[in-house]
Amino acid sequence: MATSPRTGGASGAGTAQRPNGTSQNKSCQFKLVLLGESAVGKSSLVLRFVKGQFHEYQESTIGAAFLTQTICIEDTVVKFEIWDTAGQERYHSLAPMYYRGAQAAIVVYDIQNQDSFQRAKTWVKELHKQASPNIVIALAGNKADLSNIRVVEFDEAKQYAEENGLLFMETSAKTGMNVNDIFLAIAKKLPKNDGANNQGTSIRPNGNETNRPTNNCCK
Amino acid sequence: MATAARPPSLRLGQQDLKCRTGCGFYGTPQNDGLCSMCFREKFNDKQRKLKLKEREAGLTPGASSSGAASGSVERRSPQHGHGRMEPPKKQADKDSENSGTLHKKKFTAVLQKTLQAGAQKITQQRGYVPDPTENQFLLQLRQLRIPDDGKRKLKLEIQRLDGDIRKYMNGHGSKNIDELSDAVQNAYTKVSDIVHNDPSFEIATNEDRDSAIDFFEKVVMTQNHKFLFSPYFTSDEDSDVKVQKRIRQLSWITAKHLDCSIDEVNSEARDLVYNAISELVGIDSYYSPQEKLQCTVRCCRHIFELLKRATGGPASADDFLPALIFVVLKANPVRLHSNINFVTRFTNASRVMSGEGGYYFTNLCSAIAFIENLNGESLGISSEEFEALMSGQQSYSTPWESALLACESLHLISENMKRMEELQKKNTLISSGLTAFEKELIEFQREVTERVDTVIAKAPLTLLPIKTPAFLIGQARAQLQTDPDTGHYLENVVGECTLTSQSIIAGNDALKSTIVTEESGLSLKDTSIGSVGRLSPLQQNVQPPDNLFASPIFNYAAFDAVSMLEERSSEGTADVVMLGTDFQGGLTNINYDFDLSDQSGENSTADEAKLNLDEFDPLVQKSAPNRKPPTALPDTSLLDSTMDSLIDSEVPGTSVLLPSPLKPEVANYRGFSNFDIPSISCNTGDFSSLGHDGVPPPK
Repeated sequence: MATSPRTGGASGAGTAQRPNGTSQNKSCQFKLVLLGESAVGKSSLVLRFVKGQFHEYQESTIGAAFLTQTICIEDTVVKFEIWDTAGQERYHSLAPMYYRGAQAAIVVYDIQNQDSFQRAKTWVKELHKQASPNIVIALAGNKADLSNIRVVEFDEAKQYAEENGLLFMETSAKTGMNVNDIFLAIAKKLPKNDGANNQGTSIRPNGNETNRPTNNCCK
Repeated sequence: MATAARPPSLRLGQQDLKCRTGCGFYGTPQNDGLCSMCFREKFNDKQRKLKLKEREAGLTPGASSSGAASGSVERRSPQHGHGRMEPPKKQADKDSENSGTLHKKKFTAVLQKTLQAGAQKITQQRGYVPDPTENQFLLQLRQLRIPDDGKRKLKLEIQRLDGDIRKYMNGHGSKNIDELSDAVQNAYTKVSDIVHNDPSFEIATNEDRDSAIDFFEKVVMTQNHKFLFSPYFTSDEDSDVKVQKRIRQLSWITAKHLDCSIDEVNSEARDLVYNAISELVGIDSYYSPQEKLQCTVRCCRHIFELLKRATGGPASADDFLPALIFVVLKANPVRLHSNINFVTRFTNASRVMSGEGGYYFTNLCSAIAFIENLNGESLGISSEEFEALMSGQQSYSTPWESALLACESLHLISENMKRMEELQKKNTLISSGLTAFEKELIEFQREVTERVDTVIAKAPLTLLPIKTPAFLIGQARAQLQTDPDTGHYLENVVGECTLTSQSIIAGNDALKSTIVTEESGLSLKDTSIGSVGRLSPLQQNVQPPDNLFASPIFNYAAFDAVSMLEERSSEGTADVVMLGTDFQGGLTNINYDFDLSDQSGENSTADEAKLNLDEFDPLVQKSAPNRKPPTALPDTSLLDSTMDSLIDSEVPGTSVLLPSPLKPEVANYRGFSNFDIPSISCNTGDFSSLGHDGVPPPK
């Protein structure tokens, strides 16, 4: 894992920092919703990101619906609070409750399933219309390890993502491909000025730190 | 339930009616249009009909320890759900508890204090806290690890918000719950600001700051629960009743409808569902929003535990939300909307927007929204069926419902029905699997046959006749010639050629032509042997009659193969060495499990052949009588002529005829005494039976 997990829980909503102590690090907390049809691997993606696992779950992992993960980007501690949503069509109308107030969203589809890609498009449209205007949306084509039987072409999805201003990656929760990267990319794109020590955004223009080990500044 | 039975119109109709005395409070029709206080003053004996809110507001500032006791009763009442519903009864209880004089005194105090509250004497209100929990809070406040300055400030803020809420609730004019909510939220922001930025909190850790904020919220909300929870000027109670009625109507919903993996029959799963339900119902019994949220979290954790056992891994939201909906439906918690709204309005906004509690609370809200809006489509049933089930026209039986009934056997029936349903499902699965497997097998068989056929078509099986060494034939002939009288062997050879014998006599040309025809028949037969299905000796048995062989001994399939082999190889000069190689090659091509190679090797030794022929005698003697008469006469002449043609002529057709009878005869014989164990009696038995049956021995 490039990221260092920090167990999350129902902690208070304190993003404030002590004046002394870790003052060099800003701390941000972001709410990230997962949207996408059922069985596209939403929770697998998150479990891979948070626990570094695919099938072998720890006993302590009671549920994969609500998880938190803290990563570090440069001098900023970013805590992701990941809200999973039910993907079934019948629960579609409940989604606004979940993405209300979310700063980021990952819309997941299955590259073997054209329908899931169409659903992903409707999610993106809905997010643009109803979610907070500066929400960071990422499109994730999951199950990329099965790319030999893909239905949704990479270029097609890439083009759609560019047209709609989305981050786009093909991921694989099974192999871990691009899983950390997509979260890191989101973390970089998010405005990190809601901490106590507002020092403005610190995203460097050169975006080649995707593979940078980030566990040196956490904990 | 209490909420359901409570007439919601009781307070809603009062809103526009002011007290006739013009005191500014609301009047009620029951009080002759007077406000409660004026009414109480005028008709002291009717004071039991006072509105609860006002009475509570009056009681809270009431002095003395008895006031504290009554306050605690009041405090407990909302969680039991009958507090505000049955004020007269409660009042009666209190009457019995307290002595009359004390009671009177207290109520004068109540009146005074209420008036004072109306006059907005905030400090005096705050001066008295009747609740024993207040002491707990004070204790907790002391235990907070923040500086004393901070504690004082926190306490001041608590008192201020507390006073504001009471002031608003007792104030005149129309009330709006959103205003109140905003005021409380602003106070939270203010406290948060103080805690984080005030110098008196400077040395506190983040955790302590958070706990200070939590404490603030908890104290204020617990103290003012009775005002803020389901206030009379909101429609919360109506919503409660509606959703409760709706859930009751939806009692027929099973886990299957929701596509959730809860096993309603499994007792272990049921226990976990019960745990979740009791937590969900318990939400109503807590005062502060935090506690309600924690209760929600506990409820959801039970559900996750349940799902983890059912699915084997951490459950995702795809599984969780249906399960939560199921639990909400089966729990049918009281005052659902009141609780949800209370939390939404009066907890720190960040609490429901983030964090585990916020997530689960959002899920709970989603579940309620789903329940309120669900239709047949969202349950996977037709709208007609949905309507029928909702209206009660269509009966239903769910394992869940039946478990709640007293009748154990009914529950058993229901459980068994569900189990049977599952078994039936499994059965169908198995039978469909069987059919599929059968089809697969047939397909497999067909495929194999097809493949074998194509392979055969590509490389047709051609059986080449075994080349009999010329010297062996010569030997045999010599023996026959030297011993013509005993000629069983000769008889056999001749018998074999019965068909051709007539034509041989007729002429040499005719002889050749018949031999050719017979040979072609043999070759046809041999290729047909090549097909996979025909390899069994039984099917070979069908062949002999076509060949019109004199003796069943020679009707053996091997014989045909041998003759074919010979036909090919004998085109050149008959050579022993050639025979060996050709034969070997033929055998490997044929893949014929007839062990001829060894015997052909044995054939090369003249002694053995001779010996075999001798041993053969008694065998044939048994079967010989049957066939002897027709072949007796042309013995020598025929043999001579055929032998001549075999050796001399280069025509393959003629060479085939005679060697072939010779060869298999030896081979067959050796087949029985493969290891030189010529047991005559045994062979006799075999061959006699064979001779009678006319069927060659199955190899």
